[in-house]
Amino acid sequence: MHKKVSVLLAVVCLTLLAFTLSSAVRFVESAHELPQSGNQQHSKYRLVLITSDMGTPFWQKLGTSAELEAQSLDATLEIWGSYGEDRESFLKQLEIAIDSRVDGIIVQGIDTSEFNNLTKVKAAFYGIPIITVASDVPVEESLRKMYVGSSPIAAGQMLARQLVHNLGEQGTVVLMGDNRNEYDQRQRLAGIKQVLAQYPNIHSLYVQTPEVRESIIAATQNAMNKLPNVSAFISIDANLTEAMVQEISQRARVESFKIYSFDDNPDVLPLLRSGKIDGILEQSPEMMGKVSVQMMIKWLKGSPLPIQGEGYLTDIHMRTAADEQ
Amino acid sequence: MIGIQRKIWTLTAMIMFIMLMIWITLMYYNQKTENQYNEILQRYLRLNEVTTSSQQVVTSLNSYLITPAEGNLSSLRRKEEMLRSAQLDISNLRNSENDFALTGYINLIDSLIETSERAVMFHSEKESEDSTDAFAEATRISKYISDMTLTLLDKELSTYEQFYRGIIEQSAELKKLGIWILVTMTFWLLLFTYWFSLSITRPIQQLTRAAQELAKGRFDLQVRVNSSDEISFLAKMFEHMRISINGLISEIQQKAQLENELQRNKLLLQESQLRSLQSQINPHFLFNILDTLSKKAFLEGAEETSDLLVSVAGLLRYNLKRLDRSVTLYEEVRVMKQYMEIQKARFTDRLRLYTDIDEECLSIQMPGLTLQPIIENAINHAVEPDEHGGTIEMIVHDQGEHVIIEIADDGPGMSSDKIEQILNEQPLENEGHSTGIGFTNVVQRLRLFYGVHDVIDINSAEGAGVRVRLTIPKTRRIDAYDEAAYR
Repeated sequence: MHKKVSVLLAVVCLTLLAFTLSSAVRFVESAHELPQSGNQQHSKYRLVLITSDMGTPFWQKLGTSAELEAQSLDATLEIWGSYGEDRESFLKQLEIAIDSRVDGIIVQGIDTSEFNNLTKVKAAFYGIPIITVASDVPVEESLRKMYVGSSPIAAGQMLARQLVHNLGEQGTVVLMGDNRNEYDQRQRLAGIKQVLAQYPNIHSLYVQTPEVRESIIAATQNAMNKLPNVSAFISIDANLTEAMVQEISQRARVESFKIYSFDDNPDVLPLLRSGKIDGILEQSPEMMGKVSVQMMIKWLKGSPLPIQGEGYLTDIHMRTAADEQ
Repeated sequence: MIGIQRKIWTLTAMIMFIMLMIWITLMYYNQKTENQYNEILQRYLRLNEVTTSSQQVVTSLNSYLITPAEGNLSSLRRKEEMLRSAQLDISNLRNSENDFALTGYINLIDSLIETSERAVMFHSEKESEDSTDAFAEATRISKYISDMTLTLLDKELSTYEQFYRGIIEQSAELKKLGIWILVTMTFWLLLFTYWFSLSITRPIQQLTRAAQELAKGRFDLQVRVNSSDEISFLAKMFEHMRISINGLISEIQQKAQLENELQRNKLLLQESQLRSLQSQINPHFLFNILDTLSKKAFLEGAEETSDLLVSVAGLLRYNLKRLDRSVTLYEEVRVMKQYMEIQKARFTDRLRLYTDIDEECLSIQMPGLTLQPIIENAINHAVEPDEHGGTIEMIVHDQGEHVIIEIADDGPGMSSDKIEQILNEQPLENEGHSTGIGFTNVVQRLRLFYGVHDVIDINSAEGAGVRVRLTIPKTRRIDAYDEAAYR
């Protein structure tokens, strides 16, 4: 009797002890140490990539390749920026980057006086090198060290040539651009116009509109009213393309118009795939990201930058609806 | 020996120790978590401090620019100092997650101070436009610092998220652990208490059983207790008691046996006394007659008859008087001789007596009327049946510690059965004797008197007579006989 009770109790006790121990082990294991803090700086160079079009596939590709390159070159790269066309926030980011004295700033060039003021005066005051990427600004206005991206003039020319190739040497073309009239947009327009000037039978109309949906629709309507025989559209600012195409499709069959666009907006590619637009000019964001970081590190290390005219020009090529079929 | 008290103390100490261990462990973990909480709070407070002091720098700068007094300037300097020390503290917060942001943050503080200095410098050089610009910039930077603080706090949160979740998880685990410990401790305590109580009650139960057996009168079972504490001591004492009681009982039994024997002796004596009393009436009457007859015989000139009558009277008197007390051998021998004279008168030449008596031995003590019944027995069996009579031989001699008395006849002898009967003190049938005292009675009295069994020995062979040999110790071993006899 005594023995049975003893054995039973002992078994219960041992079982409970095992459970208690496992609980204790879980308790001890659940403790996390505080992340170590220390004074050491982890990498040599602190770089910032600032864009006003955060989250677009174009900038995502660019940012990813830039980060990878920075990692391999022992530098820290942070991507800051604003979403959409929030210029104020974009400039604020740029100022913070300058005030917090990063080692180098890679920035999407925006040709405004505030931007130029920041880069020319403030960044230069602190000795922070600035490389523009994807969009350029005039070097004499901004004192940027280098431009890495596609040549906007070449891009405009390529697009115009494609247009002529598809349309023939005769027709009416509407060129849509936004009313901020930025540097790279001007360059693209210049490129297009250089080509179109060789074909006197191609008439072109340059329309400027604010980057607001209603305005774009209104501008498109206006242009179509003014030029009923319009046969082609070129959207110089990719952000305008989607609204423009939609308005056109409301007025007529989209397929009957030749429509061209640049690639730096995520809405453009689906339109190309569905055949609503006939061609886009594709740039190489990965290349831009990679090269811009390389150039910045090179500059910071004190080696001279290769001066290639306007900067380091990356590949561009046309991607047409026919390619997609 | 482990005392019960020590057992209790051990159990208590063990429990106390375990409780203390648990308490210390919990306190340790609690302290650790608290420290970590404090550290995190410290980080937040430091970040907040930077924001606050940067705003204060801007405020002081503003009031200096409005009223450029020395007091305002020194207040600005003080605020800047505070900001600098906050900046120093901040640099300790660096980790791999916030490295970039923190460096920028520290540089922002530098920029703020520089800008503030610039504003003061421009102001003192009366370049108020530049000064205003610098102030605007300082305000912006201060705002950036606030923003950056928020960014850093965000980073802190994401960096420490794992840790916070760990803390929550740990507190949940702690709750579970607490319940487990409570249940486990309860059961362990039950187990130990059970063992402990068993170690006390089991010996008590064994002792109780032993006591019950003793109470029932079974003194032969050994008291056995498996324990090493006070109970075992009690059990040992109990065992001693049992052994003592056993000893006392056997002693009492021996005494009772002895008492019994004495009682028997007394009864035998009483029997003899009764017999002698029966013959006491006659003797007194007979003394007088024998006396008268003796005188008459003497007066009539029959001197021999007169002497004989005197012997008879003496014998009778001795018989009546000496039966219940010890006498000397000398008296016994004298009476024996008187008896022989009387018998000689009866058997004349047929009875021949041969004596060899060592006079030195006559002073020893012996019970009365011992020799005469033996002689009488010898005459009855050896002399009376034979026409030619017989010879009675009596020898008394000294043998060291003993006096040997031998009485022999040359009659037909005695059967070994009869000898056996006599020596075993069994009464003999058809024993004709004159004094009323038989051989068996003599054997019993001799043994009782001396307390020795082999005081008498009878040798006999068919046709070669009987030889009775008394071995009388010179000193008596017990005096119980006398005391019992006169009680």
